[in-house]
Formats: sequence, C-alpha cells, structure tokens
Amino acid sequence: MDITFFTAKEAPTSFFNQSHDHRHHHQLHHLHFSNLDMQSSTSHSSEYSPEHSPSAAAAAATATATGKWASTLLKECARAISEKDSNKIHHFLWMLNELASPYGDSDQKMAFYFLQALFCRATETGLTCYKTLVAVAEKNHNFDSALRLILKFQEASPWTTFGHVASNGAILEALEGETKLHIIDISNTLCTQWPTLLESLATRNDDTPHLKLTVVTTTSIVKCLMKEIGQRMEKFARLMGVPFEFNPITNIDHLTDLTNEALKVEEGEAIAINCIGALRRVKVEERNNVISMLKSLKPRVLTIVEEEADFISSKNDFLKCFEECLRFYTLYFEMLEESFVATSNERLVLERECSRSIVRLLGCDHDQISEEEIGSERREKGKQWTKRLKQALFSSANFSEDVMDDVKALLKRYKPGWALLRPATAAVRDEEENGDGESSGIYLTWKEEPVVWVSAWKP
Amino acid sequence: MPADLENSPSVSGEPTVSSLGNTDPPPKSTVKKKRNLPGMPDPDAEVIALSPKTLLATNRFVCEICNKGFQRDQNLQLHRRGHNLPWKLRQRSSNEVKKKVYVCPETSCVHHDPSRALGDLTGIKKHFCRKHGEKKWKCDKCSKKYAVQSDWKAHSKICGTREYKCDCGTLFSRRDSFITHRAFCDALAEESAKAQPQSLVDKPVSNSSQKAVEPVEPNPKLSPPPSPPAAASPPQSACVLSPPVLPIQSQDQSENPSQYNEEAPVTTGMSGSCSSSKSPSSNSSSSSRFASLFASTTTSISLQPPQPPAFTDMIHVMACSDPSSDYAPTTSTEPISLCLSTTHGASIFGAASQDLRQYTPAPQPAMSATALLQKAAQMGAAASNASFLRGLGLVPSSSSATPQESSPWNQRQVEPDGISIAAGLGLGLPCDGNSGLKELMRGNHSLFAPKHTTLDFLGLGMAAGGSPNNRGLAALITSIGGGMDVGTTTGSYGGGDISSKDMNRNN
Repeated sequence: MDITFFTAKEAPTSFFNQSHDHRHHHQLHHLHFSNLDMQSSTSHSSEYSPEHSPSAAAAAATATATGKWASTLLKECARAISEKDSNKIHHFLWMLNELASPYGDSDQKMAFYFLQALFCRATETGLTCYKTLVAVAEKNHNFDSALRLILKFQEASPWTTFGHVASNGAILEALEGETKLHIIDISNTLCTQWPTLLESLATRNDDTPHLKLTVVTTTSIVKCLMKEIGQRMEKFARLMGVPFEFNPITNIDHLTDLTNEALKVEEGEAIAINCIGALRRVKVEERNNVISMLKSLKPRVLTIVEEEADFISSKNDFLKCFEECLRFYTLYFEMLEESFVATSNERLVLERECSRSIVRLLGCDHDQISEEEIGSERREKGKQWTKRLKQALFSSANFSEDVMDDVKALLKRYKPGWALLRPATAAVRDEEENGDGESSGIYLTWKEEPVVWVSAWKP
Repeated sequence: MPADLENSPSVSGEPTVSSLGNTDPPPKSTVKKKRNLPGMPDPDAEVIALSPKTLLATNRFVCEICNKGFQRDQNLQLHRRGHNLPWKLRQRSSNEVKKKVYVCPETSCVHHDPSRALGDLTGIKKHFCRKHGEKKWKCDKCSKKYAVQSDWKAHSKICGTREYKCDCGTLFSRRDSFITHRAFCDALAEESAKAQPQSLVDKPVSNSSQKAVEPVEPNPKLSPPPSPPAAASPPQSACVLSPPVLPIQSQDQSENPSQYNEEAPVTTGMSGSCSSSKSPSSNSSSSSRFASLFASTTTSISLQPPQPPAFTDMIHVMACSDPSSDYAPTTSTEPISLCLSTTHGASIFGAASQDLRQYTPAPQPAMSATALLQKAAQMGAAASNASFLRGLGLVPSSSSATPQESSPWNQRQVEPDGISIAAGLGLGLPCDGNSGLKELMRGNHSLFAPKHTTLDFLGLGMAAGGSPNNRGLAALITSIGGGMDVGTTTGSYGGGDISSKDMNRNN
C-alpha cells in the first residue's frame, strides 16, 4: 500500500465540509464512524474493522492492492447506492470523503469529484449542486481565461486538436476548389479550430475563397464570448487575406431550433458542417432529428468529433452508467495528470469542468426534470453515432492519407501515450461480412484506449 | 525510357528537344548581370524546351544491373563501366560547345519565355516542381509539404529546432499552435494608444552589435529563391525564430530574381550604415520624425518612384533616407501607431503596442503562415490614415501599372529606407521600419488591385517583435522577406503587385 497517498495529504479537503449546503454537512455527521482512524485503517486495511462492513474492507484491500483505490471505492459506493444499502452508502461516502481531495493525485481527484456526484445522488441534491457549480464557473469565466484555458489544453494534449486537424483536413478537401465556402461550426471550441484552416485557405494554390463561418453555440458559458471571438476571427481573416464573414448564432438553445435563415445559407455556397462535441449536447431523443436536419442542409461534408464513451445504453442502469463514467473520466484525469504539471491552474479548471459533467450525469440522472432542464451530454460511442448517421443516409467519407499524415504529425508533437487508431479498414471488412455497422472514422487513443472519435460524412 | 532518349537533354549536345531558337536578346546591361538575373540568358545560348514529363522524369536512365537511375545517359554509361558492361560515351556532335538554357514548360510562367529561360537543367526542374508541381515530400514532423526533395531534406534537418515567439512572450515549437495562439493573442487584438511622447523620437540609433540576421528556416517555402528578402526571414515580430540561422539562402540561384543576389551583399554593408544614419525623412519636420518613429515614414518608400537598383543608390538611400522623404510628410500629420516588440526589451515603449487604424491589405495567397503573421506584426508597426492614403495617390507610377518591373525597385528603396528609419528611431526595431514600408507597399496594391477590396482600417494590432537591437539591414531584409512563399514575394513587396495570382504565375 502506498502510504503516501494519505500521509502526503497535508490538508485534506473534505468535500462535505466544502459543501455549499450546510444541510449536507449536518447529514454527514450522522454518518458516524468516529471510532475509525482512516489513516490507519486504509493504510493497513487488514486492521479495518471487518465486522462493520466486510465488503468495504475487501474493497479497501483491493484498492490498496491495485493502487487504484479511488475507482474501487467509488464503484463499491455506487453499488451500495444502487442497492440502496444505506449503511454501506454512509460508510463509503465517509471513507471517500476522508481520502478525497481536488488537489491531490488523480486518485484523490477522482474520488473527490465522483464522491460529489454520488453524494448528490444519495441526497438527491444533484440539480442544486450542478447549478451552483455552473454559477461558480460562470462567475470566474471570461474571455481571457477561457481562451487561455483552451489554448493551454491544446498545447498540452491532442484531445481537441486531434479532432481539429482531422476535421479541417476533411473540410479543406471537401471544399477544394470552391469559391464560396460556408462552414457551420457547431461547437464550443471558441473557434480555436479555425485559424489554421484560414491559414490553409490563404495558402491554397487557387483563388482564396470567400468563407462564411457560422458558429452555433448552445452553451451559455460560451455564448457571451462570441462577440470577442468574432472580432478576433475577423481580424485574423483579414490578416490572412481571406474574405470572411462571421455569423454567430447564440440565440438558440437547441439545435432543433436552427433555421436556414439563421444559418444564412445562400445559393451557391459549398457547405461544411463541423460538429465538435455538439451531438452529445442534443437530447437523446432528438439526435436523429438533428442529424436529419443537418443532412437537409446538403453539406459537402459533415465532420463529427465526439468523446468515446457510452452513457446511452446504460441510461437506466445507474451502476453501469457509473462505471462507464468512471472509466472515461479516469482516462481523462490521467491524461490531464500527465499533460499538465500538478499545480497547473488550467488543469484544475478542466477538472472542475469534468466535475460538473459528472454531477450532471450521475448526480441528476434520476431526475427527469433536471435532465430536461440542464441536459445531460450523454455521450455515445463512435459505433453508435455511426449507426445514427447511416440511418440518416449519410455515408462515411474516409480521411485521406494526407490528412492522416497531418494527424500523425500532430500526435508526434505531444508526449507519448497518444496514438491514432484507424478501424476503417477492419470495419469495412466487418461490414461486408456481418452487415453489422462498425464505426467509421478514426480514433485518438490514450494509452491504447480510444478516447476521441472523429469522422467525416457525406450526404 | 528509350523513347525518351532522344529528348534527353543529354550532355551529348544533341538535344533533340524543340529549340525555340533565340528570341530577342536581352538588353546588354542585363547580360552582364546574367548571374543575377535568371531568365536573362545569353542570347547565344540554345533554348531548350522540355515537356513536363521529360523534365520531371528523373533518373530515366536506369542501370539494368543495379537499378540505379541517372539523369543523363552519359552518366549511366560511366556507371556501366563499373559493372563491366559495354559502355559508350557519345562524341560531341560539334566542336563548339553551345550554352544551353531551359524554359519552363508551363505556358503561363514567365520562364516559359525564352528570354527568361534558366541556365541549367536542375534549376528549371526545381523551378517547375516548386511552382507548378505537386508537393509530394512531406515532413513527418510538421507535415509541411515540399515539391522538391532537397527542399524537404533541408527542412527536415531543422524542423522542430526552432521556436515561434509571440509578442506576448509565449514560445511555440509548433507552427499550428502558434498560428492559433496568434489569432487570439492580445498582441493581435490590441488596438491601443496613439501618439508617443515626442521626446522619444530622437533617440539615437543603436544597432551596433546584434546578430544581423534572424534565424531562418532554410525552407524553400519561407525563403524562396525569387524573393530577395525571403532569403533570411524569420517571422518577425509575430514569431521570432530562435535557433538555426541561415542568413541568405542561395539555393537555386538560377531562379533568383536579380535583386536577390544583389541584396545579400548589401545587407552586410548596411548594418553599418544604418546605425549611423539617423535621418528621419528629409521633411525633417519634427512631425515627420515623429512619424518615422512610428514607422509611418515608410510611406515615403512606396511613394518614391522606382529607382535604379544600383548598389550605390541603395546605400545612398540608406544613409540618408532622402528621396523618399519628400513624399513622406503626409503621414506625419497624424500620430502613428507604433507596435514595438515587447519581446526583446528593445522597445522604448515597452509593451505598449498600439496602432491606430491600421491598414491591412489582404496578403497574398500561397504565403506561409509565418510570413503572414510576420506581416501582421509588421503591419502593427505601421499606421495608416487618411493622409497616408492621399500620399499614395501621389505615387507617380502606380503600382498597378507594371507591377512586376516596378516591384523590385520599390522593394529596394524600401529596404534602405526602412533601415534608416529604424536607425533613426534608435529603437532597433527593424520591424518598425519594415512594417511601415511593407504595409505601404501592400497598401499600394490593395488600393489598386481589384482583388483586395477590403482594406483594414480597423487595424490589426499586432505588435511587432523584432529581435532586440536588431538593427541592421539584414534584419530588415529578413523581416521583409519574411517567409514569403516563393511565388509571392516579389508581388507582395513590390509596390505594384496586382494580384498574387499573377505573381505566382510569373514566378
């Protein structure tokens, strides 16, 4: 057992003590394990009072054995919640609370943020908690900080740039030779994808085309930045010599509300639609409609980037959903840990972003009203999106070797651990043989695990 | 392959290639400078026109033993000796060795004209690949593409060894992140303060001891042969390259426009003279100095009628930025914005980067990003205002007239002038001078060129970040040359670039 996990924690930040809701705090005091000394009990799990909770002891033992104590304890806690075993729930919540810290290592962080969600779930306070978190985030949110964050993240990790490069490559190829381009960007990436594309357009061999960039944002946190972003994009386009029109759409909350008028679609435009993390923000039951709507715009190409996780099929199974969520965010947190220095402020902000998603997904999912109100960002895997897109009669467009080279070159510049996965060829074979749709597109993998899926489609 | 044999420009001196015959011999004056003026071949030379296929067929003469390919049959024959195969060297068909020149097969290319033929086969081949060919060599580190393998090799050696530095102080090792950052960085967005205190105006020049040339990426794209300035050009303010220094690149000389070669020497000579020249414009009104401080004097440059490219003239211009100054005054009336580099303490104004309404004509396509960003930075240093535009109206020969011809001259003037300005400012910010001039030049064409109708009066507030006391013409030139793409260089700097397209084609 790595005792430093616990002893190094100088000032363990108790999630519960930090709770904005004092009610929670009091509730916790009913969770009574005063006779336990967590430090010794966890570091010497054999001494842990087995009579109290054998499974907890076992869990602790497993945790210490594997070194992944956070996920083990969290899973146990989630199981207890799904089994409605209040003793165990209390026990694990208490234990996690002792160990968790948003400033510790990635185990401690995972414990902290998932504990938050589990606690919300157990106390049915998810919605309040989520709203508070969002309010806090918005308060500290401004153009500079948001931009710094996203750019630093892109410097440190290909998590987002992977999608940018692949999508830009596909878009540029699909719009090759066109003179009136219209890119409809449905994303929350603050247009960080576009400077390199503008540069590519500017250095194209043929005439520099006119570019209309329509940016559709549905999250409030990004909406307020669009004005400043637009100014910068316009300046940059001017600098690059690309005739440019910026058309931000911030007055809709759902993609289903998009209209041709708002999109300013005109005759003779070659349209490309770029969806980055956009589809997961659409309500599950509206996703097919949105995809059909996108198809009706007759884009030359539709690029889609989604994070590879499945929060759909487990929608009604809390434990399964929890485990998938845990799997995904464990990867993400490890990635952050290796990409940033421990004291990185950006990392903390990114983790808090995750914490909101986790609370929303796990802490609120029992509550239809809250899901209606705040959405859930239920991710789907590439395979699942592929199915939806094929249903909408989109056909997948392969990325060219040039684009693949760009992507590979991109990954080389980051720390080891990243790779490009191209199931395309295998998928084609698979499809022929089984007729069962594999995923199209390509994956970014982190330590062999697919984490981001990028694909290009043609109507 | 055998079929091609007859068409081979073999040493044998029996080019069965279609000979266009000698067209009008170039003026004598140019003949003397032949070396510097690609495309001004010896009138007596035999002009050879190869088809693209023939031209690109590399190593068509393949050894049947080891599969090694050769460009010339002669070389293959020599190689065959090594295999103890029968070999035969052809005899020269005539005693007189006739000089051969080659034209570019691309009909729209300037070098398609026999009078602009290039002097050697390799030169025309590279030219054709770079200008009209597919870029099939891709750097696996940055995925930048090159048409010529040797360009790619040269790039590969230094790829990743340099850094891009934004005015805000952030360093980037990757071009794309630099571009992205640049688009959003305050250094670009900032539009600020106006006039600077006059007291600063007369600061002595200090350019003595810096590295004259900024590090450059010896990369054909950035520093294409035809572009003189391009030779050594770090993306200036926008990004200061650090490591490898490659001053003037003289690869593929045959393609270099005349000024290219001429300028190299100038560069060195100039650093010295610059430092001493403290001449603001002859208008010498304090206002003009003021203007020069803000790099706006550069306007004068483009206003200046084309001058002979004489070396002495350049120096003259450098030493005393006189001729141009006559036209310069207009700008001085308004405070100009100044974007000093905040990167290297040079700036008196410190981080204050400001620009008034800036004039940002559309850059040319086919320019490397760094070049564009560099331009942006330079623009940042310049200011344009109504008077500036009026000033442009004074230009005797509008750039639109004969862009191609005029551009080199304009450029030339510009450089010295820019230098003197920089010197005069004592800011040691080459960018300032530069940017002004560059902007000006560009302003020209955007004014006249129908293509670029969108003038930027909002200003691109890119701060210029020069190398610290980087004075020196070299720096200036480099910055001017920026990493412009081969094709575009002349166009963009020449006062009269009509449209980038044309320039590209012409080059």
